[in-house]
Amino acid sequence: MAGTIAEEATVDLPLPERTPIPSGDHSVWADVSPLLDAACQDLQDGMLIHGDNFNLFAAMSALEIMDPKMDSGIVCKYYSVDEAIEDGAAPVPISSDRTVDVQCTIDIMDHLLACEATWHKGHSLAQTVFSCIYLLRPDRTSSHALLHSYCRVVRATCKTVVSVVSDARTHEEEDLFTMSYGLALHGDGDDKCLSMLNAVEETVNRQLRACKAPSLKRRVLEDFVPLQNNLELEEGYCKALLCRLRFRKHFYHVLTCMKRPQGRGLELARKHIASCISELECILNSSEFLRSRTVGTHEGSIEDKTTASGCQPIGFDASLNCRLSAPTPPRSIKILSWKKAIEYFMKLLHDLDVICSCPLDLSLESVLHFVAEFQKSLPDLVARAHLQRLLVEDGKLYGRDPVFGVITRAAAVPDATRIHDVQKHESIVHLGQLVINLLKILCTNSAWQRRKLGKILQDWRVVYIQLEMAFRKESGENTNFSNDENVCRNVVQHILVWVEEQTYWIASRFLILGFELELYSHSEFCMVYWYIYVVLIKILEKKSLKMAVSNDSGKRRGKKKRDSVKDVARDIRIPPAILFLQCQICLAEGLTTMLAALRNEHMMVQSPSPFNTEHERFIQHFELLQKACIPDQSSYPLFKDSTIQTRLSNLVRYDHFKDAQKIVKEVKSSFSNNPEKSAELRRLEQVAEHNSIALNIISRAAALDPSLKVSFEFNHHPYFATAVVKRS
Amino acid sequence: MEQEAAESLIQVASSDGSNPNSSDGSDPTCSEAVTRVKKLLFRRMLVGIKDGRFFLGTFHCIDKQGNIILQDSVEYRSTRRNSPSPMEQRCLGLILIPSSCRTSCHVGCSIEEQMSLLSV
Repeated sequence: MAGTIAEEATVDLPLPERTPIPSGDHSVWADVSPLLDAACQDLQDGMLIHGDNFNLFAAMSALEIMDPKMDSGIVCKYYSVDEAIEDGAAPVPISSDRTVDVQCTIDIMDHLLACEATWHKGHSLAQTVFSCIYLLRPDRTSSHALLHSYCRVVRATCKTVVSVVSDARTHEEEDLFTMSYGLALHGDGDDKCLSMLNAVEETVNRQLRACKAPSLKRRVLEDFVPLQNNLELEEGYCKALLCRLRFRKHFYHVLTCMKRPQGRGLELARKHIASCISELECILNSSEFLRSRTVGTHEGSIEDKTTASGCQPIGFDASLNCRLSAPTPPRSIKILSWKKAIEYFMKLLHDLDVICSCPLDLSLESVLHFVAEFQKSLPDLVARAHLQRLLVEDGKLYGRDPVFGVITRAAAVPDATRIHDVQKHESIVHLGQLVINLLKILCTNSAWQRRKLGKILQDWRVVYIQLEMAFRKESGENTNFSNDENVCRNVVQHILVWVEEQTYWIASRFLILGFELELYSHSEFCMVYWYIYVVLIKILEKKSLKMAVSNDSGKRRGKKKRDSVKDVARDIRIPPAILFLQCQICLAEGLTTMLAALRNEHMMVQSPSPFNTEHERFIQHFELLQKACIPDQSSYPLFKDSTIQTRLSNLVRYDHFKDAQKIVKEVKSSFSNNPEKSAELRRLEQVAEHNSIALNIISRAAALDPSLKVSFEFNHHPYFATAVVKRS
Repeated sequence: MEQEAAESLIQVASSDGSNPNSSDGSDPTCSEAVTRVKKLLFRRMLVGIKDGRFFLGTFHCIDKQGNIILQDSVEYRSTRRNSPSPMEQRCLGLILIPSSCRTSCHVGCSIEEQMSLLSV
């Protein structure tokens, strides 16, 4: 197809003498084709003519011209946008028949929505939204109010989205996203798109009211020009247009509200999100009417169509400007179907709603938890960029709270202490940057996030050591502390504990993300759970230490009025957060020992890898943790030592899963008003229950039936596996 | 006519002492045409292809099949089907032009050189 078009294009080929390509001062172009042909004939097979600097390997990376996978510049139908327009590829009005014109306008709107969703999914703007010729020439549509207002708001929306994503810089992996070179992204007057959209919406709304009032029809018709000529279809078309226009309006509002500094527009944004969702539903419902108007569309194929009516839209040609986006290979792209596009926008709006519902007074720990929870729904780039922009603005949390304050709160530094001196300390400043960085990283996609988390672990370690050294040096120089130094020491001590806890939290997230990305094979589960177990133990240790320290200082500040008995009672009760962690530890330990025992007694369905040893795989998975000494003494020999002796008979005697179940029962009531935590607890309980039963079955039946095989699945929890026993 | 132009050019090339590959000229295993083409290396080459685009770059390599590699190339394309029309251009870097889509191939040379050689 492309070939025949290219052949066509060769007609009346401009000769180089006539082309404006300069051959340089005082020089001319001399034809060497016959000489090249002669030389090629004389060459032996496999021989090349090349200079001294030739490198075959480098030559392999040459862009192959006319290869549809590499050459984005292949001239297909038109040489340029202007030529396409002159040829009538994007007429204004689209049709002289006003009914057809409205129908075609709706098709264009639908296809643009599909293009927009495809763009959000990581394709270039030039090949998706800006494949629309109408968008590329903003002034041409000015006589067509419907199309003009819609094109304007689409351009303005794209511009806003590009700015949010490039501000957030969450698009490293979706690198094509923000490239808008050569595109008319900034049409004149696009910033006023809303007033125009409102005016058009009002007109269509009046037309709808006019056609709905039959008794007044005559009179009204004198006042109003109907949308199109066929009065029977007027209502359907008006409605189909209205929901599309209103969706655009509310969606643009959502984006601008969310852009407001310090999360001031979130509440309003939520209202617009709700309107967007209801308009999307209307758009979806309009499909029935629009499809009834088109003849010859097959029922089955509607799923792949990019419009509600199933018609091919007028005025799109992706090949026209794909050459604009630098000399990158044009990846063959498929525009999402209209239905998929609506689904995408539904998901995006729900994700944005979650972001908007984020309370702006969270502690850092809760923020980190919020982001981790948000990421569980696998939000796309645009939603993640918005979250990041909300969290980090001008280097402050929510653009409002200075990082040092956030850290001291997180580290439970007593408020009364004077902290100004510490704040300016080099390593504290560095720590602040690390926190901001961490927040940004947590907003990226899982693969990128894991890589970056692994890398920043060392930075966290280094900052810990720096802080510790600085603190020691200061206290070493002066043995008799003044009051000020004592205060400083106290602050640093708190922060140190918190930095360690945070480092282990990053490590645990790094390990857990490996499950989401399916990086671990079944034979490696044992070492992964072992590592999770040691990291969780460390978090528990630091958390308890932090609580003890803050309780301590709380008490020191003296609340003598309080009943001493009550005080003791409060100390004895273990906080639910700690119990929750303990439950996870029990599961990780239980799984480690269970997997180790099964391996030691050869009951796992697994084959040893022929390529590398277990030790090598241990290094491959945990190299970044090991480099950062997280935790201090953990190493492969330690893992081996702690698991090599494990036998099933020992496990039944001491069942970690039973412990986990006990803890869940104990802690359940404390989380009764937190649906998310109680759901997580339920999942943990299910894993514990299942594995406990499985362990019993295995230990009893294994001796009698050697064909019993055990495998692991994630049917109750995303990263705590449950054992499945099968007779092979 | 074309043959003449090519011949004159080849002589221009062979008299060009600045060609870094001049030592290859004495290679007895190469045919005359191959030797001449070797002297064209590192010159500015303009290649036209079937769909009407032109590529201007430094001649880097050619194989037996006639596929050409150009370095630091620039793509030129007309904005209209009917020429002459304004041209758009963009940089592409290292490109491989398959012989199957090549329609013309020119090398830049100075007028004086060509004139003086034409009189010979």
